[in-house]
Amino acid sequence: MDAATPSLWDAVIAFDYWPEIGTATLDTLIMTGVSLLFTILLGLPLGVVLFLTSPGHRSPQRQVARMQAITYGMLSFLVNVLRSAPFLILLILLIPVTRWIMGTTLGVEGSIPPLVIGIAPFFARLVENLLREVDRGVLEACRAMGATTRQTVFWALLPETLPGLLGAVTVTAIALIGYSAMSGVIGGGGLGDLAVRYGYQRFNTAVMLVTVAVLVVLVQLVQLIGDRLVRRLNHR
Amino acid sequence: MIRIEGLGKAYRTPQGEFHALHDIDLEIARGDVFGIIGRSGAGKSTLLRTLNLLERPTLGHVYIDGEDVTHIDGERLRRLRQRIGVIFQHFNLLHSRSVSENVRLPLRIAGELSTAEQTRRVNEVLELVGLADQARKFPGQLSGGQQQRVGIARALANKPTLLLCDEATSALDPQTTQSILRLLVDINRQLGLTIVLITHDMNVIRAVANHVAILEHGRVVESGKVLDVFLNPRHETTQSLLAEIGLETEGAIATARSGSSRILRLTYRGVTALSPVLSRLSRESGVDFAILQGSVGRLQGSPYGQLTIEMEEPDDSRFQQLLVALANQDVRCEVLR
Repeated sequence: MDAATPSLWDAVIAFDYWPEIGTATLDTLIMTGVSLLFTILLGLPLGVVLFLTSPGHRSPQRQVARMQAITYGMLSFLVNVLRSAPFLILLILLIPVTRWIMGTTLGVEGSIPPLVIGIAPFFARLVENLLREVDRGVLEACRAMGATTRQTVFWALLPETLPGLLGAVTVTAIALIGYSAMSGVIGGGGLGDLAVRYGYQRFNTAVMLVTVAVLVVLVQLVQLIGDRLVRRLNHR
Repeated sequence: MIRIEGLGKAYRTPQGEFHALHDIDLEIARGDVFGIIGRSGAGKSTLLRTLNLLERPTLGHVYIDGEDVTHIDGERLRRLRQRIGVIFQHFNLLHSRSVSENVRLPLRIAGELSTAEQTRRVNEVLELVGLADQARKFPGQLSGGQQQRVGIARALANKPTLLLCDEATSALDPQTTQSILRLLVDINRQLGLTIVLITHDMNVIRAVANHVAILEHGRVVESGKVLDVFLNPRHETTQSLLAEIGLETEGAIATARSGSSRILRLTYRGVTALSPVLSRLSRESGVDFAILQGSVGRLQGSPYGQLTIEMEEPDDSRFQQLLVALANQDVRCEVLR
């Protein structure tokens, strides 16, 4: 090889931003992990409530059915509103909310509320759709066994959708990795932040490329783990 | 056990009211195997579902063990349903749970047994349906017949006094159907359980039921003991349902030689069915018969026979003699031509 042109390996050794990349990767993992946890805690019940109050699953008692229709209408509207705002806009709109919850709008902490609020409605819709896929016969069997709604949800509906739910969590985790990178634009921390500060603002293409490479690896890993779990849990 | 009085069910549809059930009166005794038969759309599924109030009747009453359950709800309704086992055409098992977990589900729902007692009960019912060695498998690994056995075990877990079967064998092949039906008969005998089943197949009724109601357009058009209904079907729906399993006479007459021959339908049951009635009569009266169609066997353990026979122009006095002789032998005789 010509000594005048540095090899890729030389470039890797000469690249002196590895510590920053390391910290940023860790930050991204924390942001994504914590947001994913809260997304599930918020989105799963929301999805279940959406399903239980959706048309076709309402009580035969007219007054109860009416309450269910109102609940469904309101939650569905909220979900749609949050999903229709582009995440970047939502990030900016939510700044006051974030400050109120976390005390700051910057860094890892500042990114988590908008991430959760931005993605939980998406996850909730995924959950709602998964529950719709559950064989209606199973619901009928639960009713015939005299199960309460709570028993039906925890002992039949959720176990039946578990493989699908894990798939939904995987999709959501990957979307979160992408969104968390976007929050770098408003000083969110993590790999996106690094890419914006070095790659975009200082024209350091190498940092930009490495950042993208790390994101690619992260996404691949999450998908791989998700697929494995789904396969293991699927008894169909 | 169950009394249904003036039961009606109407649905509101964009085209107006649709009456799925009209003015149904039925009485089902304890320990009975009661079959409800009808073609699709006759309302049999709706009728079955009113028994555990998965479907609320719009008119009339359902009494179970003397208690009017038509309007109960909440906790009382759930308790009632826990005492009524249901098996379904498509089994409706949880695919994410093992066989034993599926059977445990109703026990968990009822919440009356400790975990250890639940396990014991699960093993007991799995033993009863012949699946003790499949407890750890998942429904997806079992055949249709085995899955229905799991369904039956699940339905029996809470020791119900009433078992509802919603087309329980319609998704199974004939051989598996027979084994499931045998299991139902065994359960009925062993546990003294009342069984109400709906089907579109007279073979199912013949194999297990002792009472039958024929449903058409939401009305009961005929009902009674299976033997009576099979040997003397009055309504045309009953006759055509019986025809599908080769138990009717109209077609047989068409196959008879045309002309002046006489056609008789003979029905006999009990010990008569076992004695050589026909050959003796033929010998004594000197009249020869051709058998056009017939069915001889057992219905609910009691022997029966029904034969459609044709005879070559006997003269009147001999014919009358023959009819008297038949009556003396306890054979019911109808002159069809």
